[in-house]
Amino acid sequence: MRLEKCWFCSSTVYPGHGIQFVRNDAKIFRFCRSKCHKNFKMKRNPRKVKWTKAYRRVHGKDMTQDSTFEFERKRNRPERYDRNVAENVLKAIPKIDKIRVTREERHHKNRMKGKKEKLMKEAVRELEQGISLVKAPSVLQQDPSLTLPKIKVKVSQQQSEENHAAMEE
Amino acid sequence: MCQKTEIVGRSLFGGLSNSSPGLLTTSHEITCNNLFTQQQRTFIQMRTVLKVVDNSGAKKVMCIQALKGKKGARLGDTIIASVKEAHPNGKVKKGKVVYGVVVRAAMQKGRCDGSEVKFDDNAVVLVDKQGQPIGTRVFGPVPHELRQKKHVKILTLAGHIA
Repeated sequence: MRLEKCWFCSSTVYPGHGIQFVRNDAKIFRFCRSKCHKNFKMKRNPRKVKWTKAYRRVHGKDMTQDSTFEFERKRNRPERYDRNVAENVLKAIPKIDKIRVTREERHHKNRMKGKKEKLMKEAVRELEQGISLVKAPSVLQQDPSLTLPKIKVKVSQQQSEENHAAMEE
Repeated sequence: MCQKTEIVGRSLFGGLSNSSPGLLTTSHEITCNNLFTQQQRTFIQMRTVLKVVDNSGAKKVMCIQALKGKKGARLGDTIIASVKEAHPNGKVKKGKVVYGVVVRAAMQKGRCDGSEVKFDDNAVVLVDKQGQPIGTRVFGPVPHELRQKKHVKILTLAGHIA
């Protein structure tokens, strides 16, 4: 039994699921669910719809080139059944899966590398621009406890919280 | 607390409205669906015009009777049709009454595994009363369900099987 990929979202179409549309030039479009089918009928481009695999690939959100994807490739030549080979394949599947997951995690980590510094920089800029809205400049001059470095420390704490929130997301 | 009570009240109300067997709600849903999707595809019934995808000489036929099914014919069913357009020197002439097998239908049809299949247009292959094709070629994709319907000849003539 072959597990096909959805034309729109690239998820797996299990047997008995979804709908397939055959165009007059005999190209087959398979859809995993009515959501994908409806989006196809609306003539949407999967590369421009954010929740699809195609979008994530194009915009560098997901890993695109990896040797673990080779195992999932569609082959048109049927493999002759061999008990030993089947056994080895079953053994290898969890291992390959694990490798793929760790690589994806690494890719995500690399992608998010500059995020913390960027958030920090933005917050500092906002603070410098908007401090006059909270305290008048004259008050700042009079009261030494309200000078910028101290407040900076305070805000950096807040930022760390923000960062935590971002990480959780 | 106020908000909570409001939410509870809303959910109760929603439950009530859902539980009440309303004809109104269903009709509303149907209209909404039609707004967003394409035209609703239906059965091949009397006066449906179908394309002929073989070299029998006919170009377009109009369905005058579906041989099976109360509502009409679907993918793989046999119909009786009258030839509306034909090539000048083909086997089949305009105005003749012919039999045909629906090889492509725009209305989706369930497959044996539970998934569904649909095609671009409504197309037919002309056959005689015994089920043998009149033409010698079949153009475009045909579904593999024809094998169950004992139209193996059409399947062998076809180039693409979907």
